Amino acid sequence: MTPPTSPPTTPATTPATRWRLSRTRVVVVAGIVLALVVAVWTTRGAEEYPGVADPRNPGPEGAQALARVLDDQGVDVTIARSADAFEEAQVDGATTVVVSGTDQLAASTLERMRRHAAGAARIVLVEPDYALVQEIDPGLGQLGVSADEDDAVRAHCPDGVAGVDLDGLRIEVDSATSYNGEGCFPRGERALVRTVGGLVLLGAGQALTNDQITRADNAALGLRLLGQDPRLVWYVPDATDAVSDDAVTIGTLLPDWIGPALWILALAGIALLLWRVRRLGPLSTEPLPVVVRAVETASSRGRMYRRSGDRAHAARALRGAARSDIARRLRLDRGAPTQVVVEAAARHLGAPAETVAALLDDHRMPPATDQDLVRLAQDLARLRREVRRS
Amino acid sequence: MAISGRVPLLLLLGLVAVVLRPQAGTVWMWLLGVLALVTLDRLLTPSPALASISRRPAGSVRLGDPASSELVVAATGRTLHLHVRDAWQPSAGARDNRFRLRLAAGDQRRLTTPLLPRRRGDLRADGVTVRSWGPLGLVARQRTYAVPGSVRALPPFDSRKHLPSRLARLRDLDGRAAVRVRGQGTEFDSLREYVRGDDVRSIDWRASARNTHVVVRTWQPERDRRVVLVLDTSRTSAGRVARAAGEAETDGMPRLDAAMDSALLLAALASRAGDRIDFVAGDRRVRARQRLHGARDVAARLQEQMTDLDPVLAEADWDLLAGAVQGFGRQRALVVLLTALEPSAIADGLLPVLPVLTRHHRVVIASVRDPELSRMAALGDEVGAAAPTADEVYAAAAASHELHRRERTRAMLVRLGVDVVDADAGELPPALADHYLALKAQGLL
Repeated sequence: MTPPTSPPTTPATTPATRWRLSRTRVVVVAGIVLALVVAVWTTRGAEEYPGVADPRNPGPEGAQALARVLDDQGVDVTIARSADAFEEAQVDGATTVVVSGTDQLAASTLERMRRHAAGAARIVLVEPDYALVQEIDPGLGQLGVSADEDDAVRAHCPDGVAGVDLDGLRIEVDSATSYNGEGCFPRGERALVRTVGGLVLLGAGQALTNDQITRADNAALGLRLLGQDPRLVWYVPDATDAVSDDAVTIGTLLPDWIGPALWILALAGIALLLWRVRRLGPLSTEPLPVVVRAVETASSRGRMYRRSGDRAHAARALRGAARSDIARRLRLDRGAPTQVVVEAAARHLGAPAETVAALLDDHRMPPATDQDLVRLAQDLARLRREVRRS
Repeated sequence: MAISGRVPLLLLLGLVAVVLRPQAGTVWMWLLGVLALVTLDRLLTPSPALASISRRPAGSVRLGDPASSELVVAATGRTLHLHVRDAWQPSAGARDNRFRLRLAAGDQRRLTTPLLPRRRGDLRADGVTVRSWGPLGLVARQRTYAVPGSVRALPPFDSRKHLPSRLARLRDLDGRAAVRVRGQGTEFDSLREYVRGDDVRSIDWRASARNTHVVVRTWQPERDRRVVLVLDTSRTSAGRVARAAGEAETDGMPRLDAAMDSALLLAALASRAGDRIDFVAGDRRVRARQRLHGARDVAARLQEQMTDLDPVLAEADWDLLAGAVQGFGRQRALVVLLTALEPSAIADGLLPVLPVLTRHHRVVIASVRDPELSRMAALGDEVGAAAPTADEVYAAAAASHELHRRERTRAMLVRLGVDVVDADAGELPPALADHYLALKAQGLL
């Protein structure tokens, strides 16, 4: 017995190498944490919000340009992103309230907003959807309008809307929503801007977006509607403020990071594939030798007999095998003629020679069908068994 | 290039960033960051060529016994973090052949791959794949090098378990008074005192007259006879047969392996009995040919000779093989033909040359029987077997026909003065050894 020895060239794991290993890990973890912190910190002040006509969205759909311009013009712009924040904001007679992202507004939050903003100079709702319009006035239908008919819509409203003079303005947007009844910017029986119960419904919300505000008189519409008063409270409602029995769409329930998270998961999945798909070296091959079943020739010859229906040959082979087996059992000569074997077997079994001969004699009729051949084989097997037993 | 599982994990960490800052830009920034790390790691990854690899010869081992192969990996120049795979052809049975190791510059390490050969012959190494990981463990460079090596799996010689009993019987022959046959074949050994039971015919009257006791002559079995083993590697040797009746044919072996086992047992026995052994193997060509007398361990040298013999899909050229037998010398010998009792192959190839061999030598044909053939022919012979289908009946007819032809071939061979030993694969080695002992006892070599 020799004691198991470790290979001499294996270097012992010294504390120094272990420390170096752990240091690498520490460096990696620290790098990741640092990257996270930097990413969060650099974007902290300049938060961006993806909402349509959001005052902090610099994208094509945002309305940051309008909010900045209003701010530069001396309007005090306050942004409230929840019902609580909105209620903390000061709303008086010199205040305009504008609500963007109205699809997040449920019945209860609409009610809260109206109660708090009751004293405001005007309340502008940017493109309220069907459910919200029904909430405000069930008789008020809405219809989408697209831009393909002509490029600009004239105001045609000498009276103005909620004390704002819009007459003479032309607006031009890709698509808008029109509401039943009279108002500014009429489209047949409907109007793109109108007042219902102290609320200004702005169907052409796209006129406020960064992308389209420079077209026609879109900018003038925005500045006049929102810039009348020294204070502007920009309310971006949040669906989570709604009480539970309000009907909300499933899109408002999902957290907003779900989309990017799915992208991350997909990317991780691809990386997982790339990781697992690479083999450590090519497949090993085996030079195979020639090996066949030894009985293959006999069994394929059997199939050949069957296909050619050579029952006579098959019966002859079976009878011959049975004859030589019986002859050996009865101690007869190996080459004994059929007649001798038949008589000996009949004598040995006490059976009529004729029945034994019908089984063993080659000169009898060969079986006519496969069924007969099977029966013959069974009978021969039984005969051999009886001879062996007795 | 290959990436590690850390890359998808790192990407998944991006979920935290996305939750903190839910925007599409975060996803792209994160992806770019991970790609930058991966690129950095790739740039810092040392080349796998910095690892120098050499292999120590694995040697030879009996089939079924474990072996091992050793690689020596050395790092030149830089510290390497390696993942090494020592690939072998599947029948070499290489397990645990993947290694992870960290080598400081100038270090070397020995890697041992355990092998368990499952096939006879020279089993080769396929190549050594080296993966060299970068310092961050994100990316590896991978390359496969040909580091040749092989392990030689010798025929297993399973039948050596029969050797002690046969050697005991050989010793029984030794020094026994030759009762049955005297004269040719047995050799005078010594004189000893008569004891009861000795054959009176072996009393040496002349010696008894000079003595006060009755003295008998004793004999020893003949020595220094020649045994020529002829191994047929032609198409009939490729057939796979079960070891014994009732065993599955898939557990069996090719006829060639059974014949090798028989040849090894006979050679081991005959060399102990003092006979000289010659060996020839071939089909269309002579594949192996060796005189083994004087060798200390005949079985081991024969195993070495047989290792790389494989069945060939061709008819045996018996003219050539008989010529090789004659080439060993004109002295009378026991010629053992290890072939299959295949009627057509015998009739076409062997029969024409048999008279030449039988004129000079004593010829024994050792054939591996296929128990499957008898089973097919004995259709539903057992009581209570299910009724056979038509296919089975036709197959039984074909098998009966085949057995009948074999019987006739065998009878014809016996008429020609050839001994035929026909047995199942597991039974053939002891049967052949017993036949040899019987011939030796009768002094017929």
